[in-house]
Amino acid sequence: MKGVKKSFGTVVALDDVNFELNSKEINGLLGGNGAGKTTLMNILYGLYKPDAGEIYLHGERVEIQSPKDAIKHRIGMVHQHFLQIESYTVTENIVLGTPLKNRPTLNLAEQEEKITDLSEKFGLAVNPRALIGELPIGIRQKVEILKAIYRGVKILILDEPTTNLTPQEVDFLFNSLRAMVEEGMSVVFITHKLREALSVCDRISVLRDGRYVFSIHRDEATEEALVRGMVGERLDIDKSLLFSKPESIREIEPTSVEFVEPVCKERVVLNVEGLHVRDEAGGIPIIRDCSFHVCEKEIFGIAGVAGNGQQELVESLIGIRPVAQGRVLINDTNVADVETRKLLEKGVTYIPEDRLNDGFLPTANVAQNLILGYHNQAPYSKRGFLDWKAIFRAAEKLIREYTIMTPSAQEVAANLSGGNIQRVMLARAFSRPSRLLIAHNPTRGLDIQSTDFVYTKLLERKDEGMAILLISEDLDELLRLCDRIATIYRGEIVGVLERSKFDRYEIGRMMSGVKTHERTN
Amino acid sequence: MNERTNTRGLKVTNLVNNFGPYLLAIVASFLASGIFIALMGFNVPKAYATILFTSFRTPNGFVQTLLKFVPLLLQALAFTIPLAAGKFNIGGEGQLIVGAIGATAVGILFSDLPLPLLLLLVLISGILFGCLWAAIPAWLLYQFNINEILTTVMMNFVSFSLIDYVATEIWRDPMAGHPTTIPIGTGGELPLIVSRPPLHSGIILVIAIAIAVYIYTNRTSAGYELVATGSNPRASQVYGINVRRMFLLSLILGGALAGLSGAIEVAGVQHRLIEGLQSNYLLLGIIIGLIAKGNNLTVPFVAFFIAVLEVGASALQRTMMIPGEMVFIVEALILLFVLLSDVVRRR
Amino acid sequence: MGEFELQFVNFSSLVMLALVPYVLASQGTMLGGRTGLFNVAQEGIMLVGASLGFLGAYLYGNLVYGLLLATLVGALFGLALAYFTTSLKMNQFVIGLALFFFCLGLSTLAYKFVIGVTLQPPLIPTLPKVPILGLSQIPILGEILFNQNLIVYFAILLSIFLYYLLYKTSIGLELKAVGENPKAADSLGVNVSRMRYITAIVGGMLMGLAGAYLPMVYTGTFTEGMVQGRGWIAIALTFFGGWSPHLILLGSLFFAGIDVLALRAQVGGLGIPYQFLLTLPYLGTILVMIFASKWVRAPAFLGQNYDRERRTLT
Repeated sequence: MKGVKKSFGTVVALDDVNFELNSKEINGLLGGNGAGKTTLMNILYGLYKPDAGEIYLHGERVEIQSPKDAIKHRIGMVHQHFLQIESYTVTENIVLGTPLKNRPTLNLAEQEEKITDLSEKFGLAVNPRALIGELPIGIRQKVEILKAIYRGVKILILDEPTTNLTPQEVDFLFNSLRAMVEEGMSVVFITHKLREALSVCDRISVLRDGRYVFSIHRDEATEEALVRGMVGERLDIDKSLLFSKPESIREIEPTSVEFVEPVCKERVVLNVEGLHVRDEAGGIPIIRDCSFHVCEKEIFGIAGVAGNGQQELVESLIGIRPVAQGRVLINDTNVADVETRKLLEKGVTYIPEDRLNDGFLPTANVAQNLILGYHNQAPYSKRGFLDWKAIFRAAEKLIREYTIMTPSAQEVAANLSGGNIQRVMLARAFSRPSRLLIAHNPTRGLDIQSTDFVYTKLLERKDEGMAILLISEDLDELLRLCDRIATIYRGEIVGVLERSKFDRYEIGRMMSGVKTHERTN
Repeated sequence: MNERTNTRGLKVTNLVNNFGPYLLAIVASFLASGIFIALMGFNVPKAYATILFTSFRTPNGFVQTLLKFVPLLLQALAFTIPLAAGKFNIGGEGQLIVGAIGATAVGILFSDLPLPLLLLLVLISGILFGCLWAAIPAWLLYQFNINEILTTVMMNFVSFSLIDYVATEIWRDPMAGHPTTIPIGTGGELPLIVSRPPLHSGIILVIAIAIAVYIYTNRTSAGYELVATGSNPRASQVYGINVRRMFLLSLILGGALAGLSGAIEVAGVQHRLIEGLQSNYLLLGIIIGLIAKGNNLTVPFVAFFIAVLEVGASALQRTMMIPGEMVFIVEALILLFVLLSDVVRRR
Repeated sequence: MGEFELQFVNFSSLVMLALVPYVLASQGTMLGGRTGLFNVAQEGIMLVGASLGFLGAYLYGNLVYGLLLATLVGALFGLALAYFTTSLKMNQFVIGLALFFFCLGLSTLAYKFVIGVTLQPPLIPTLPKVPILGLSQIPILGEILFNQNLIVYFAILLSIFLYYLLYKTSIGLELKAVGENPKAADSLGVNVSRMRYITAIVGGMLMGLAGAYLPMVYTGTFTEGMVQGRGWIAIALTFFGGWSPHLILLGSLFFAGIDVLALRAQVGGLGIPYQFLLTLPYLGTILVMIFASKWVRAPAFLGQNYDRERRTLT
């Protein structure tokens, strides 16, 4: 790919980017969020039209106008958010869009057989007749990869494929990728994680702020050089929390005590006792007998693969999902099934995972977005009437403080770029004094600077005495920030580890349901 | 990047941004419908003059316009308030009819009561009946999550039968050829503010309501919740707004205004219940609400403009034999062009 | 044949007759909806279909011309809907309402312009019955099912065909995928826009046809508001028919039944004020929706436009 340019509205996503993929290699496309990795690959896959630039395949110029063209050129892509139809079976999802013989029965036996063959060959076991919506994330990812292989792709693009996998599953995935390269395929591996890029890729290409930085062979790559490439000169790496070694954040005090339920020394702010939560219909239990507590001056982490009840747990804690059984105590008052509004007044702050859907008012202006949740509290509201002057004053202050790029506080929020929308959400979350912060994947989709900023803020607030519940699917993030980490699996807390006992693979085992005490060596 | 924009400059561009598209849309739709009119073999400039100036040529024309303006404004607000919360109230017609029935019932049953008292009862009854009629779809939405567009429309059709029953069976006026009830007590009639041509005081009430609605949606925390709900119900819920209650409330509030429009038609214009008194106010109200893009500050102005067109439409039919529906097409085209201008601006 | 049997056959044939506008309009709605395009202009398109269908038949002296004209105009409105929503990404409900208004004006305008105001409305003949050889001789069923006009046959065959198309062909697999997850479909090379254009146009044609059917079977002429909410009911019907052709056919049967029943009772006089019988279809709709709301699932992407390059939701 040569000289690729792309902008969305006024936001330049890619500026004159070059990218090369050799045959039979795994090329790691490395960069922070917002660096343009996904955009670049979406262009290769025909989902985005580039403003400028050319694509060459085996030395020949090709035009890729749509995914259809990409498939024709034997390019496949596995998106970070799987593009699957939940009500279809695995087979139906895989064969969709391929020329089938229009037989009157839509009999897919032949296709099923082919899928089974392929899945065995690459170690991607799936049941071709299962409904997609009922499969766990790890399997659904295999289906995504099979979709590409079924079409006989030569180039496979994987966008942040490890996001929702346990460390063990990541290793399996890497093995499958190796098998594919051996079969003659080439792989583009989009990631923002240094460690992964270094462990599986043959070559690593770095993007930063929509620009191509360099491409380097693995043997020549050093962490130092890659980090510098990702962040440029603007960030002081030594002070960056994101790139620090986990150990250096807080000194670990060696303890000799084994398997003691960790007790915190400060006051307990949030105490969850025997919490049960059911699905919408009120039938299937999703959270089962969950108990944990979060103290003042503590960051309590919850690790787990996405879809193990994290969303439901958080929703029940902030009062938008009914609690079936159990107690949620905030400062010793039971707040189970208390209205969200009351919780906000009590000083609970919430950073939702899906900030666009769960926290953002696209048609409202920036100022209106900044007061959501606090709109009936002083100083924004006086006796039921809004004080627009106070609101705009506060909004302008936040816009400066959080460097939100917007023409004014009156700008319609949807016109802001993705990164700035994220900053509006963060500014709102940190704008008010609060005692308990519930943050669900707070750095998902953030660029490097913003991620660092969030980490700093979290630690700052912790030191000020805030209790923080950090639910994250990014294990590295938890290992860096938390004082204690619990792991959730199928709605149950599998175990709680103290900082001194943090162990990536141990947590990984718990993420796949192995309880600590079951592991008898 | 972070330029501070001169606020006055911002206001001027705002004005151009807000009114420019409207003017363009009106011109474009007149041009487009001009082709229609010409094809049908009529005199285009004369037709336009009739449409636009009938309201302003005679006092009578102007009063006619204001009389149309009253129900149109209320119907438009009955549509835009739920719209702010993201809900479509297509039931203003039924709410008007049932409100009118409620108003008439009180006006007939207590016809002996004196002026301010009976009038008050008539208006309140109209509001309550309108609320009630809107509360059914609102409750179905609240309880069973049933699409409000369909249920509000269905309630319109049910109301047609209801008014027919009231006007032909219960309080039928045997002297009238068309289904009509006997008149309400004179104490229930809205006093006139101009006697010739007669203009009732409902106009003052309606303008006050429009101002109140604007303050509610734009200046209060409760109004903020309404707008937030409309922008993203999920996010609003996450941040402590009871969105289902907002849906319920906004639809019932809409019903109240539509019911009031029915009561005013009875108390101010007809002084009795007449089948068909709803005219096509609902559709025009929706058109007004959509042309104003749900902005409650713009709604009264658009409502007045549409009232002018409507008065022009009847003159068109009277003097030039052009079917009045021509104007309806003009209005639909204005709406389309206003919507299109948004698309153009987005690019 | 006994008295009761006669009554039954008579009633059932009328139901089959009343079935058509519901089936056609709902299947049209369903087709668009299955690709995520939610048309709410049914009532309007049916009115235009009725008006122009009548005028076409009246002016050319042949019902076929009326049917063709109504179908063509329906296609145009379907095209307009697809263009405004799929190409220009405008709100589907708002555009649907705008088209509804436009149709409302157009239908009356066209009639008044061509016919003018007359004391006696001009009439067209009704659609003739076309008995199917042999089959129509079957006792009872033959009269009900195989001695109807051609549009009745068409409506039923169409429903069978659509069922086959949606569930038994790969076109159906792709069509449904567009309504469930257009991005997934797009990423596999399915042309989302083309799919939406086609279903919107075909859907519009069916609605236009449904409208034209009304003057040709019931009144013989066009009157304002003659669709009587059938377009809106068709939306409801599509909803609780679970967006599936076969259930829609069943649901249409229910509404056609109510239609005929209300009409009968009105003529027969049961002591109930006829106004209340007239409300039956509408109250019935609401009632069925309450029951259906529990188990029915609409296409996941219904009512939303797909923009390949959109990154934030607006």
